[in-house]
Amino acid sequence: MNVANLALQQTPPLSVPLRFFLTAPLFGLFACSLLMYYGPPILLNRWNFATLALTHSLTLGVMTMVMMGALLQLLPVLAGVTIPKPKWVSTFLHALLTTGTLSLTLGFMLNYSLYLTIGLVLLSLTFILFFAIIGYCLIKVVHSHITIAMRLAVFSLFICVSLGLILLLFLTQYTTVFDPAIFTNLHLIWGLIGWAALLITGIAYQVVPMFQITPQYPQLITRWLVPALFISLLLFTLSNLTGYFTSITTILLSLELSLFALITLSIQKRRLRKLPDVTLNFWRFGMIHLLLSILLSTLTLIWQPLATKAFYPTLLGILFIGGFILPVIQGMLYKIVPFLIWLHLQNQQLNVLNPIQLVKIPNMKQVILDKQARYQFWIYVSGFILLIAAIWITDLLYISTTLLIISFSGLAYNLYKATWIYHSTSRQLHEAKS
Amino acid sequence: MNTITQTMTYEHNVCDNLFAQAELLVSQAKWEQAIANVESFIQAMEQHFSREENVLFPTFEARTGNSMGPTQIMRMEHTQMRQLFAEMQQSVVQHNSDDYLGQAETLLMLMRQHNAKEEQILYPMTDSAFGAERSTVLQHLKDHIHQA
Repeated sequence: MNVANLALQQTPPLSVPLRFFLTAPLFGLFACSLLMYYGPPILLNRWNFATLALTHSLTLGVMTMVMMGALLQLLPVLAGVTIPKPKWVSTFLHALLTTGTLSLTLGFMLNYSLYLTIGLVLLSLTFILFFAIIGYCLIKVVHSHITIAMRLAVFSLFICVSLGLILLLFLTQYTTVFDPAIFTNLHLIWGLIGWAALLITGIAYQVVPMFQITPQYPQLITRWLVPALFISLLLFTLSNLTGYFTSITTILLSLELSLFALITLSIQKRRLRKLPDVTLNFWRFGMIHLLLSILLSTLTLIWQPLATKAFYPTLLGILFIGGFILPVIQGMLYKIVPFLIWLHLQNQQLNVLNPIQLVKIPNMKQVILDKQARYQFWIYVSGFILLIAAIWITDLLYISTTLLIISFSGLAYNLYKATWIYHSTSRQLHEAKS
Repeated sequence: MNTITQTMTYEHNVCDNLFAQAELLVSQAKWEQAIANVESFIQAMEQHFSREENVLFPTFEARTGNSMGPTQIMRMEHTQMRQLFAEMQQSVVQHNSDDYLGQAETLLMLMRQHNAKEEQILYPMTDSAFGAERSTVLQHLKDHIHQA
């Protein structure tokens, strides 16, 4: 048996996760173009259809896009389970998610129920396929902290998507039987905390100690935090549906999420590896904004009028999505993409008959230059800060959006250039073989 | 340190420490110290690999009758890491910090994943596979000295 192929059985073809990663920054750019086109009113009202288009292009087009790709990659590697027909699965999932997200956002922008209905059908198909494949794999895997987190995150996504589909039925006027405000809140809590934060937490257990050589997360945390968050989400849902104990369940969720952010920051502080690292920057930025968004939402318990201010939901959304989720995702991409490219090239090289180094494999920092990743980080940070300021000083929106456009273009450039380096080196390897 | 898992995990931690020191010295361009540190890091890694390849893996394979399973993947990853060791040695001798740091970053990802798989899956498997003979195997492991 070929030794290189044996190792490759664990990792799916590069195109499986990469197509998702390469599409994400394009949706980031799409979201920026919405900000530019609609201007300041988009930040004023969360029920605005343009705002819904903006949030879904970020949560589906960037966040879920990367997280699906990452799950398809990580399931075989971290959980030791092979996905059946990975190329087919990823091609279909990617095509459905991309077109579904586009028609949903177009439907919101144009307030046109035909596009919303097409979006509804395509996204339903996306998630039915995703749940079938990933659910099948997650039932088969070995029990570990990370697979428990994956299961609960995917289950949360299921709840989030179901609520989303019900809301879409409401919007397309197939049903009018419930209060959309509560359902919308539950939809976004299950999506942002259940799907995104749970998966990030589970993956953090594995990658934070790995990237910076930090101490491990305490065992009590790795064992209980994710299940506790999930149970708190269920309680939060019950309390919101019944109207009882809403403050208590909010505090519960806030405490658990703060615990994750604080422990992550503290073990990162005790890292052995002291060199500057752009992924570390992104993650620290993310954890700080997770804490700030928790602080903001708990403030409403002390000072209730805050929750009724027009800026409150916008600020909370920007802090959580733009300040926590998107930076953590970008930080991950800067490790996963160059490493996967190196790994696939290395495996190809092991297959070359003459193992003397005929073709030099670029190392991770040659695949994506540190300097370019760092520029992109700082441009993102400035765009983000100005976006928050733009809630009050509306003229700043255009400068902030311009910076965010540059930042997502930079991310796209770094990832597409990495892909180009992969293909050109791979070609050289195959020429050397023949 | 009564189990294979504890002993071998401790060796991983020692190697991680040496790795971080060497990387820091290279980034500060303290070349003489850096060269010495890279050498001791690689020696510690080779000593650890040698314990696995010459004692732990063959004994485990003989016990389980499977030589194409996880141990084979671990050996292949050792080969990948050795290739990076050679490149890192070359870069540090040439005082090329950019190349070294890129190679070190790549090695770290590979090494930490490799270690996690061993610590979470393979070592506990060996501990339970050897049963009563565990302490004998452990003594062989500790006595084994890598011959360069």
